[in-house]
Amino acid sequence: MRTMDSAAGTALTSADCARIVLNRLAYGPRPGDVDRVVSMGVMRWVNQQLDPRRDRARATLESQFRIQKLHREDLARRFVAEREARRQAKADSMAAANDPAVREFRELEGEFQQLAAARAVMADNQLEEVLSDFWINHFNVFLGKGADRFLLPSYVEETIRPRVLGRFEDLLIATAESPAMMVYLDNTLSVAKGAIPPQLARAEMRSLRWYSPRADSAIARIRARIPSGINENYARELFELHTLGVDGGYTQTDVQEAARILTGWGIDPPERGAGFTFRDWAHDDGEKHVLGVRFRAGRGRGEGDELLRMLARHPATMLHVTTQLCQRFIGDDPPAATVEAGVLAWKHSHGSVREVVRAIVVTPEFWATAGARAKFKTPLEFVVSSIRAVGGTVGTDPGPAHAIARLGEPLYQQPVPTGYVETSMGWANSAALFERMNVAVQLAAGRLPGVDMDLETLVPISDDPDSMIDRVDRALLSGEMSPHAREVIRQQVEGLPPQQARALAVGLGLGGPDFQQQ
Amino acid sequence: MDSLRFAPVSRRAFLRAGALALVSLGLDPLFLDRAAFAREPAAPGRRRVLVCLFQRGAVDGLSMIVPHGDPLYYRERPRIAIPADQALDLDGHFGLHPALSGLLPMWRQGALAPVLAVGSPDLTRSHFDAQDYMESGTPGVKSTADGWLNRCAQHAAEHKNTVFQSVAFGPQLPRILAGSAPALAITDLRAFGIRAGGPGVRDKLTRAFEQLYNESATGIVASSAAEGFQAVQTLQRIQPAEYRPENGAEYPKGKLGSSLMQIAQLIKADIGLEQAFADAGGWDTHIAQGAGEGQLATRLRELGDSLEAFALDLGDRMRDVVVLTMSEFGRTVAENGSIGTDHGHATAMFVMGGGVRGGRVAGQWPGLDPAQQFQGRDLAVTTDFRDLFGEILVRHAGASDLTAVFPGHDASPDRFPGVMTA
Repeated sequence: MRTMDSAAGTALTSADCARIVLNRLAYGPRPGDVDRVVSMGVMRWVNQQLDPRRDRARATLESQFRIQKLHREDLARRFVAEREARRQAKADSMAAANDPAVREFRELEGEFQQLAAARAVMADNQLEEVLSDFWINHFNVFLGKGADRFLLPSYVEETIRPRVLGRFEDLLIATAESPAMMVYLDNTLSVAKGAIPPQLARAEMRSLRWYSPRADSAIARIRARIPSGINENYARELFELHTLGVDGGYTQTDVQEAARILTGWGIDPPERGAGFTFRDWAHDDGEKHVLGVRFRAGRGRGEGDELLRMLARHPATMLHVTTQLCQRFIGDDPPAATVEAGVLAWKHSHGSVREVVRAIVVTPEFWATAGARAKFKTPLEFVVSSIRAVGGTVGTDPGPAHAIARLGEPLYQQPVPTGYVETSMGWANSAALFERMNVAVQLAAGRLPGVDMDLETLVPISDDPDSMIDRVDRALLSGEMSPHAREVIRQQVEGLPPQQARALAVGLGLGGPDFQQQ
Repeated sequence: MDSLRFAPVSRRAFLRAGALALVSLGLDPLFLDRAAFAREPAAPGRRRVLVCLFQRGAVDGLSMIVPHGDPLYYRERPRIAIPADQALDLDGHFGLHPALSGLLPMWRQGALAPVLAVGSPDLTRSHFDAQDYMESGTPGVKSTADGWLNRCAQHAAEHKNTVFQSVAFGPQLPRILAGSAPALAITDLRAFGIRAGGPGVRDKLTRAFEQLYNESATGIVASSAAEGFQAVQTLQRIQPAEYRPENGAEYPKGKLGSSLMQIAQLIKADIGLEQAFADAGGWDTHIAQGAGEGQLATRLRELGDSLEAFALDLGDRMRDVVVLTMSEFGRTVAENGSIGTDHGHATAMFVMGGGVRGGRVAGQWPGLDPAQQFQGRDLAVTTDFRDLFGEILVRHAGASDLTAVFPGHDASPDRFPGVMTA
């Protein structure tokens, strides 16, 4: 059945089309997925992914995770207890490691990382998972920084995930006012020059009435601790990474002015749940100018909302973010026509991610480059697509998350605000390639921790190596295995018992060069 | 020691006197060897090695090399300045951060040159861009595909390329080594290659994957795989798991110490290493950076102690090695509202090893006066990083054509900061 013609003129079968969308809008096909998508219609599947209904498979998975039942306040309490336990253990790292509070917190962190990997494997609404990873990476927050150790789960669940297909503007504002981002990029420490917090003002009032040396030293202590000016960290990354892009035409003065606008955006201390709070005393009340636009003085938090909306709607933002989406869905150098179509859809839909993705998918170029398998998989994409390809299932055991970390992409642990790179330059090197081969061989032998699978349903045991390799080819490489690869695998399995031969063929298939591309 | 180069004594006499002086200071005599560092060609079978350490996150140069003789420094940094009585004085005006005491032995032997106010002509304060420029070697030009260290290897015709010619420690190949000359990324020499299965299975799998990648892979995937398979063969010969540091060297625990230990091992194995690269992160001290002790001090201690162990471990092999530290930019002269520092302009770098004209602070000091500060907030750049790197490439790594390594830069020896003996 020929349904769609690529720009190059080669006709694609609907099975080809199904494989393209499953490799790009999802984490690769599971056994039977291609047939399922073909029979329901490729575009119908795409539309369903763009307007997802309740995902039962994901809900079942999530119910196994303890961390899903804990709210930010619960985690905050555990964080405070963990910090206290560490303080008491002081330099004794063994005592600290064995403390129940420390151990529980570490387990929860591991579970949290595994939840991301497990959802990517198990969820039916695959596009939601792909975009969750994309936005979490775009608005990167490092799990290792202070209060972010307990703020990240609510950042992922409440800030990012509900908005992955919504309007970019809403996502941007949600991240800006998220406690996790404010801690990560220090905005909570950014205050107007000379601002005096109420506690200090009160202490000073008291000391005016009754002079006492003790009160004076208390004031000195508070003074030493409080921030005494703006911190540009968030404002800079807001321009460079989150919105306009580094060539987006802003200046150092714009960064400083934006930082002034965002003074006062902060959080409560962890002991009080670490929720968003706007602190009037810390806000800079003066007039500001960003990108030539005047921000009238004295409007408090409203100035920040105005700034974020302006940046979200800026043409440079549309181009920057759409290009990144195209790199994610297509490859390192996405076709210009696809980027243009995405930007146009952004304009028409006021920044609806759903419409931008839809516009990218319906360009002829999206289908034309398909045959090239243009994108080198990131470690997350490689591990998840491998597990899906062999029909594996996963749960709370952190094995898959550990495998992804070994390949160089420990989840939520990128300390720098750029997030992980999407392009092949960042991932294709000799050590990482060996790790991929190791994971492939482990998985095929049924020895990748945390993965349940049965190769028998994928490739039934057979005495005939050729038909066995045919099945492996169809299951893992859409029947596109090169004659050379077939020859190499054929030689390797020669003389092996059928079960071993099958594991070896699957391991070589997953670890070989073709499966690294999507 | 600088003046001794003009002293009318024989080299041998100087060495003896120097040895006594150092022993009386309580220093390990093993370092004495290195007082005799000369720029002779490397011994047969040995190669000159350049080790680059990237302090990602923009290290505060004013805390590494402390201008303790400048009252403005203390005025701008009331809470984070390194007190003058804690800085390890170098020349009466500048001193090392006290956590860098591991570098003192090299300094005393004249094998360490701290370089002031190094940086990029580009104005960006973005970590990402500034690192990119420092690694591509083309500030302001984003389209440069390869890194300067790789370009240097491309043009070095002296030796035949070997797979271990350029090695970066870490899970990813850094931008500085991207390019057509072979380069390896290795996290741990002992765990490099196929590990699944027993020894027999391992070899079989390795051969099978090698055949798959030989024929099918293209571009960067193909070249990375080919280099990987060659490296596995070499490593089987040198047995990385058996390595023991020499001369009582103790590397600090952590990534940097482990990387430097493995670099030392590769140097001693004589398998063709010429360029080594390692990362040290954690320098982006926007909040609570500390002074003599604290966050930044902890990172500096790891740096200094790792380099001390490295020099000790290499012993007389250090004469073939130069270590260069670099960071994408420096930090604001004044402390910020959170007892830290924000992104600035110039920073400081270290050059250490054989042939280094050390024992003196190199680079021109631009001053801390607000009128002398760059954009009224940062230390100004007086040495373009390409002039520093270029000098090391020419005088240590044997580069003859700097225009190929730093295209678009007029690399004249007149602008070299003079960190190497000519």
